[in-house]
Amino acid sequence: MPDLGRAALVTAFLLLVYALVAGSFAAWRGRRRLAASAQNALIAAFGATVVATVVLLVALARHDFSFTYVAEHTSRELPLGYTLTAFWGGQEGSLLLWLLVLCGYSVAAVLTARRVGREVLAWVVPTLGLVGTFFALLLVFVASPFTTQVAPADGAGLNPSLQNPYMAVHPPLLYLGYVGLTVPFAFAIGALLARRTDERWIVQTRRWTLAAWAFLGVGQLLGAHWAYVEIGWGGYFAWDPVENAALMPWLAATAFLHSVMIQEKRGMLKVWNVLLVVLAFDLSLFGTFLTRSGIIQSIHSFTQSSIGPWFLGFICLITAGSLGLIFLRLPLLRAKTRLESLVSREATFLYNNLLLVALALTILWGVVYPLLSEAVTGEAATVSKPYYNFFLHSFGLPLLLLMGIGPLVAWRRASLRALGRTFLWPLSAAAAAGAALLVAGAGSSRVGVIAYTFSVFVLASIVLEFARGTSARRALGGVGWLGAFSSLVARNRRRYGGYVVHAAVVLLAIGVAGSSAYQTVREARLHPGDSMTVAGNRLVFRGFEAKTESNHRAIRANVDVYRGDKYLGRYRPGKNQYFAEDQVSNEVSIRHDLLTGGDLFLIADQVNADGSVDLKALQKPLVNLLWLAGLVFVGGSLIALWPDAREERRLAERYEGAAVRV
Amino acid sequence: MSVALVVGALLAIGSVVLVAAPFLREPAPTDDRLLSPDAAQQRRLAVAEERDRALAALKELEFDHRTGKVSDDDYRELVGVLRQRAAETLRAGG
Amino acid sequence: MARRGSPARLIVALSVAAVLAVFLLYTSIAGGGTPSLQPSQVAGHTGRVSLVGIVVGKPSGDAHAGGLHFLLRDRHAMASVPVVYKGSVPDLFKTGREVVVDGKLRNGVFVAVPNTLVTKCPSKYAPKK
Repeated sequence: MPDLGRAALVTAFLLLVYALVAGSFAAWRGRRRLAASAQNALIAAFGATVVATVVLLVALARHDFSFTYVAEHTSRELPLGYTLTAFWGGQEGSLLLWLLVLCGYSVAAVLTARRVGREVLAWVVPTLGLVGTFFALLLVFVASPFTTQVAPADGAGLNPSLQNPYMAVHPPLLYLGYVGLTVPFAFAIGALLARRTDERWIVQTRRWTLAAWAFLGVGQLLGAHWAYVEIGWGGYFAWDPVENAALMPWLAATAFLHSVMIQEKRGMLKVWNVLLVVLAFDLSLFGTFLTRSGIIQSIHSFTQSSIGPWFLGFICLITAGSLGLIFLRLPLLRAKTRLESLVSREATFLYNNLLLVALALTILWGVVYPLLSEAVTGEAATVSKPYYNFFLHSFGLPLLLLMGIGPLVAWRRASLRALGRTFLWPLSAAAAAGAALLVAGAGSSRVGVIAYTFSVFVLASIVLEFARGTSARRALGGVGWLGAFSSLVARNRRRYGGYVVHAAVVLLAIGVAGSSAYQTVREARLHPGDSMTVAGNRLVFRGFEAKTESNHRAIRANVDVYRGDKYLGRYRPGKNQYFAEDQVSNEVSIRHDLLTGGDLFLIADQVNADGSVDLKALQKPLVNLLWLAGLVFVGGSLIALWPDAREERRLAERYEGAAVRV
Repeated sequence: MSVALVVGALLAIGSVVLVAAPFLREPAPTDDRLLSPDAAQQRRLAVAEERDRALAALKELEFDHRTGKVSDDDYRELVGVLRQRAAETLRAGG
Repeated sequence: MARRGSPARLIVALSVAAVLAVFLLYTSIAGGGTPSLQPSQVAGHTGRVSLVGIVVGKPSGDAHAGGLHFLLRDRHAMASVPVVYKGSVPDLFKTGREVVVDGKLRNGVFVAVPNTLVTKCPSKYAPKK
C-alpha cells in the first residue's frame, strides 16, 4: 500500500512537470493540441493526488502503524473522527492536503475558464503546474507521508489540543483560503505572459478570489474560537507567528478585492493590482513556510529543518520571476485614466489599500525582525503585543472609519456639500453614541470609545445605504418595500453583499474592543467553600471531581456562580491528563450571557494537593459578537458570490462578442 | 496488494491516455495553432470593456443621484460628460 | 493620454512617508523589542529581558503562592540561571521543555514578570529531534 501512495505521488509529480514544461512550450509556440494535453495533465495530476490521499486515509482508518506517519500522529484509542483528521495533523500530510486542494482548484478553475481566452489559459496551466511541481517535489523527495517502519504496537497519539472539532476543520478551511489565492495569481501571471491588458483575468477570477478570501477569514475565526475555548488563556488572538501567517495574506487579499473594483470601474491601478495579487500569493506561501519550517523556534532550527530552505528558495523564485515579468510588461499596463479627486470613492479605496498593505507589512516586520536580528547580531529580540497593538490601532481604526466613509462617497468626484448631507445622520448617530458611552463610563479606554464610535458611524452608514437604495428602487414604481429591498440586493449582489461583510467587520471590531479594552480579570486561591467576585458575579468553589475516560483522566473544579441572590449555574473548569501523549491540557469553563453578549471565563490555573484551586476568572463583555460576526461574514460573502444571471449574460455578450474563434 | 497494483495500473494508464488524448483525437489536424486575438479583435475587446464601463458609470451616477450621494449640481456637471463618453464608445463598438 | 502628475502618486508617496514616520517613531520609543537572551548571555544586562532556556532539575515551590523556583539552562551549553516566577504556568511546562520568560536579573536570580511564562511547544510540523 505505501508503494501505491509513493507511486501516485511520483505520477503526480511527473504530470505536473509535464504541465509546466509542455504547457510553457505550447503557450510560447502557440501549439493548440499540446496546450490541451498540458491542461489534461493537470486533471490527471489531480486524480493521482486523490489516489495518494485515499491510500493515506485508508492507512489511518486501519491503524496501519507500518506507515511512520500513522504511527506518529494517531493511536488505537483515538476516536475515528480524529484519526481521519490526523491526515493534516503533521507536516507530510498537510503538504499532501495542500497539493490535493491545489490540484482540485487548478482543475476547476481551468475547466470553467470560459471567458479568459485560450491564449491566456495556455499560460495559466504552466503557472499552476509550477506551483504544483514544487509541492509534489517536496512530497516525493523531501517529506514523504509514505515512509514505512516496523509497525509498533501502538502509535504516539494526536496532540490533545488538536482533539477538538474546531481543529479538525480549521486546517482544511485555511488551505481552501491559502491555496485558493494561487488561482488569481496564476491568471494574473498568465494574462501578463500572454500580453493581455484587458480585465478578463479579473472578471474570471473574481469569484475564486472572493471564495478563497472568505475561507481564509472563516478559517481564522475558527482558529481564534479554538484558541479561546481550547487553549483557554482567556484570549483569542496572540499575534503568534502562526496566527500572523494567516492574517497577512488575508489583509493583502482584502486590499486586492477592493482595488480590482477600481480597475473594473475606471481602468486604473493595473500595476498595483498585479503587485497586490503577487503579494497576497507570496504571503500565503510565506505563511505556509512559517508554520512548517520550524523557523519560529529559532533561526538555528530552521537550518536543521528539511523543508525550510526549499520554501524559501521557491518564494524567492516566485517573487523574482513575478516582479521581473511585471517590470517587462510595464509599458502595457500604463493606465489612461487618472485619479480626479482626493475626495472620491477611488481615493478612499486607495487609502484603504494603503492602510491594509501597511498593516500587513508591519505585521510581517514584527514576524521577521527577531529572525533578522538573531542572524545579524547573534542576539534575538522578541516583538510582543504592544508593537502589534500599536499598529493595529494606528491603521485599524482609520480603516474602520473608511468603511463607513467609502460607500457614502461618489465615484470620480464628491463635492463637500453633498458629503455633508450624506454624512449628517451617521455622524450624528456616532456623536450621540460617543457621548452616551462617555457618560456610561466607557472612557476608561480611549481606544475602546473611539472604536465604538467609529463602529456606530459605519453601521449607521450601512443602514442608510440599504434604506436609501430601497426607497430609490421603490420610487421607480411597481414594488413595495420588501420587493424593492430584494430587487435592490439581487441586482447589486456584490455591493450589498459587501456591505453585509462590512457590518460583520464592525461587529468584530465591537467584540474585540469590548472583550479587550473593557474586560475584568480576577485571580484567587480558593479552598472548598471559599468565594471570589468578578464584575458582580460571585464564584463559590465547592471541591474537585475526577473521572477516567478512554484516553485521559479528567479533573474538574466545581464552581457555583451567583449574581446577587440568583443562582446562575455550576461551571466546571479543570484539566485533562492524557495517558499516551503524557500531556496535560487546560479545560476552561465558559458561561455565555446571551443578553449582553459577554462571557464569564473560568480557568483552573492550578490544582493543588491540599484540595484548593488557583482560579482565574475573566469577564469579557461582548466577546460573542466575534462569533456572530463570523456568521454575518459568511452570509455577506455568499450574497456577494451568488451568480447573477443578468450579469453573466452581459459578460458573455461582451467577451464572446469579441472572442477569438478557435 | 493486488488492489494496489490494479489501482496503480489504472492510474498510470489513465494518465497516459488523458495526456495523449488531444493528439489521439486529431492525429492530423488542419490547424494546430493556438490563436491569440489579433489587433482588431483586441481593439474590439478594449472598446467593449470601455463601453460597459461608461454605461455602468452612467447607471451608477443616476443611482447615486437618486439616493442623494451626488448633488444636483454635480449631477448636471457629470452626466453630460458620461453620456458623451458612452455615446462615443457605442459608436466605436458598432 | 498625458499623465500630468497624477495625485495618486502623491498620495502613495505621502502615505509611505507617513507610515515610515509612524514606524520609526514607535521603534524609537519602544526601543525595538526586548532582547531575547540565553542564560549564558544574561549576566550584565540590567533591564528587562526575555530569557530563553531549557528547564533542568526539579521545579519547586508554588507559582500561585510563594513563587515557582526552577533552573534554566542554555540550549547547547551548561550555563544555567535560577528563576523565580509567579503567575499562570502553561500546561506544557515541565523539565526538559524550552521556555521563554520575561524579567530582570537581580543578585544572580532571575526574577520573572508575572504571567509571562510561555512554553515553546514543539511545533507539530518541526522535524523530530
